[in-house]
Amino acid sequence: MPDLFFLPAAPLPPNQIIWFGVLLLAGVIVGEIARRVLFLPRITGYAAAGLALGPEGFALIDKTLLHELRPFADISIGIILFELGHRIDLRWLKRSPRLALTSLAECALGAGLVYFTLRYFFALDVLHASAAAAIAVATSPAVVMRITADLGAEGQVTERALLLTALNCSIAVLALTALIPWLYLEYRGGWTILLHPMYLLAGSFALGLAASATTLALLKWLGKREEIQAVLLIALILATIGAAIALKLSVLLALLAYGALVRNLDKHYRLAAPDFGLTGQIFFLILFVLAGASLDLHAARSGIVIGASLVAVRFAGKALGILAFVPGGGIQVRQGLLLALALTPMSGLAVIMLQDTQSLFPEFGRTLASVVLPAVVLLEITGPILTQLAFKLAGETRPQPAAKS
Amino acid sequence: MGELPFKPSQPLSLGVELELQIVNTRDYNLTRGASDLLGALAKSKHPGDIKPEITESMVEMSTSVHERHGKLVAELRTMRNAIAAAARKLNLGIAGGGTHAFQKWNDRRIYDTERFNHLAGLYGYLAKQFTVFGQHIHVGCADGDEAVYLTHMFSRYVPHFIALSASSPFQQGEDTLFDSSRLSAVSAFPLSGTMPLVHDWAEFEAYFSRMHGFGIVKSMKDFYWDIRPKPEFGTVEIRVCDTPLSVDRAAAIAAYAQVLARYLRLERPQPISAEPYLVYSYNRFQACRYGMEASLIDPCNNRSASMRQDLAATFPRIAPHAEELGCRPLVQGLLIGAQDSANDARRLRARLKESGSFPDVVRWQCEQWMQPPK
Repeated sequence: MPDLFFLPAAPLPPNQIIWFGVLLLAGVIVGEIARRVLFLPRITGYAAAGLALGPEGFALIDKTLLHELRPFADISIGIILFELGHRIDLRWLKRSPRLALTSLAECALGAGLVYFTLRYFFALDVLHASAAAAIAVATSPAVVMRITADLGAEGQVTERALLLTALNCSIAVLALTALIPWLYLEYRGGWTILLHPMYLLAGSFALGLAASATTLALLKWLGKREEIQAVLLIALILATIGAAIALKLSVLLALLAYGALVRNLDKHYRLAAPDFGLTGQIFFLILFVLAGASLDLHAARSGIVIGASLVAVRFAGKALGILAFVPGGGIQVRQGLLLALALTPMSGLAVIMLQDTQSLFPEFGRTLASVVLPAVVLLEITGPILTQLAFKLAGETRPQPAAKS
Repeated sequence: MGELPFKPSQPLSLGVELELQIVNTRDYNLTRGASDLLGALAKSKHPGDIKPEITESMVEMSTSVHERHGKLVAELRTMRNAIAAAARKLNLGIAGGGTHAFQKWNDRRIYDTERFNHLAGLYGYLAKQFTVFGQHIHVGCADGDEAVYLTHMFSRYVPHFIALSASSPFQQGEDTLFDSSRLSAVSAFPLSGTMPLVHDWAEFEAYFSRMHGFGIVKSMKDFYWDIRPKPEFGTVEIRVCDTPLSVDRAAAIAAYAQVLARYLRLERPQPISAEPYLVYSYNRFQACRYGMEASLIDPCNNRSASMRQDLAATFPRIAPHAEELGCRPLVQGLLIGAQDSANDARRLRARLKESGSFPDVVRWQCEQWMQPPK
């Protein structure tokens, strides 16, 4: 009998890469089914595929694998936040102060109503209600950006949804960071009260600033060659994400700051609008499949009432805030309502903010998760559908190729 | 009276239409913005008229009727300021220029009206490739016969209008080598070209009736001629100009048309004949391709001249009329100032050379057209 040492041994040794591939493949297929058969957004299909294969579904993907794939999710989020930061156009805000007021109003009223509801209808204490309200300020940037790209949406509702998302994500992260002193007072005490949030804020901002200064200096040397710019950006984004993790800074703040600063400091217009094309799409796919696989359905089932209430009052607050500044703002009331609808998704970013809180204050984080997660699970599937609906009703999506007559 | 009555208007009265590009301020590509922009403008008070065009990335502004250049340019500036203010509110950019430098034609969306959807269905890819931006100049005529005469006489000056307004050197992210590449997009349409050799309005009406009888055209709108009579306005319409990079240049070119019209209708330098049409396509191509460097052929005098020589030779003939219309220095500057070859196409090429990026060229075009807010 010949020596068959070169053949694999049976049973096949487990290989994480295969399962990662299977997970992505399932995402692609379910995503296309969602779009072609059910006329739902692709990303809803990605999340559904992740949910089906993950620990809560057929358990093809276990918690260990999810943990090992975490760096991919981090990279995806970093790229998305950079692109989102790049959407913050300070000149537009300066020219139209109403827009800045709209942003503040939709953040404040959304958070205010969530806080009030949790405090008085669900009898939550001040700190938990405040933290949940801060997290509820953020719209899911990945959802809004992916739906925009998938549908080729262009127009005032789309543009404003992207800008308001970028702003409310920044405000949510800042608000949650500002709550840290109170959490320390409650749970740990000591000197760190102010030092820690200061380190997070100043450090993340400085990192973003350093990354943008490096980018602009390199671009000055490389010139406006757009094909090289995308690679350069990906490289610097990866380095920034890594540095933020190593320095225990906020990946969210650092990458948002990087995107926003590199655009607004670019006086000579050296940086073309980032277009990560296919690479960007793969990272979105990874992110949504992993988010779906990580969904905690138990939390949703036990907290359906609190989740649904949170989603409803959050929408009401955002809608009121936006409508208050519609007159004289250049859009119609109908567009304002659709804008509020487009801002409904809340997922990836909320989970990260929860995880960050949980790693600092485990006990507090667990209770907070039981309040916020039901809403996250609800919106993971329905959020993209609502955003898609908003852009379609606004008439801003790319027309479907006409049937041959 | 025939079936196409010509409504007389004040001779030499002047009106301008400009088709404008709507771009986003992120990558400066054309964007879906016409309906939002018109919505925002609906509440503001401004003279003239601002209308949708065939794609969502275009609006058309048209002035009211004016007797003199001064009033015309003042109104154009007021309208420009209103449009620019609304665009700033919506974070949109508005630019002149006959083509967008790098848009892909298949990305365009047809503005949702019955006529535009009909045209898109009829002309297929031509309708989307027709994402080009022109200036139309209307000159008032006392009657239809005068309109026919002016239409023929203007054809000799078509190369001037092309070269002076040329601002479409780039298409689909390429330098076309043309100063005005926009006009080639017009030539693809079956009813483009020139008016047939009719001698008066009665002949024109007979011609129109036949074409209408064949079912080829429904109204004058279906003729995409370089110059056409517009009986419902009582004007002759010059349609070969690219939208210049600024409203001031658009107004100066309109003033030149008015001065020429005065010269032609009062001096009647030539009878209507087929002669100018022998070389029409050749001269038109020269002007599109080479702009100020074109060499033109004058069939009536059997000689050829450079564009610059021809412009310089034209000015003394029309100078007294420019004087009468109060725009002599302006027209002189336009025609003789052209001696240094500075038309908008050349300026756009210089800008590309300097910055090396098409989005940056479009950003600069927006700055030129919108002007800083006051």
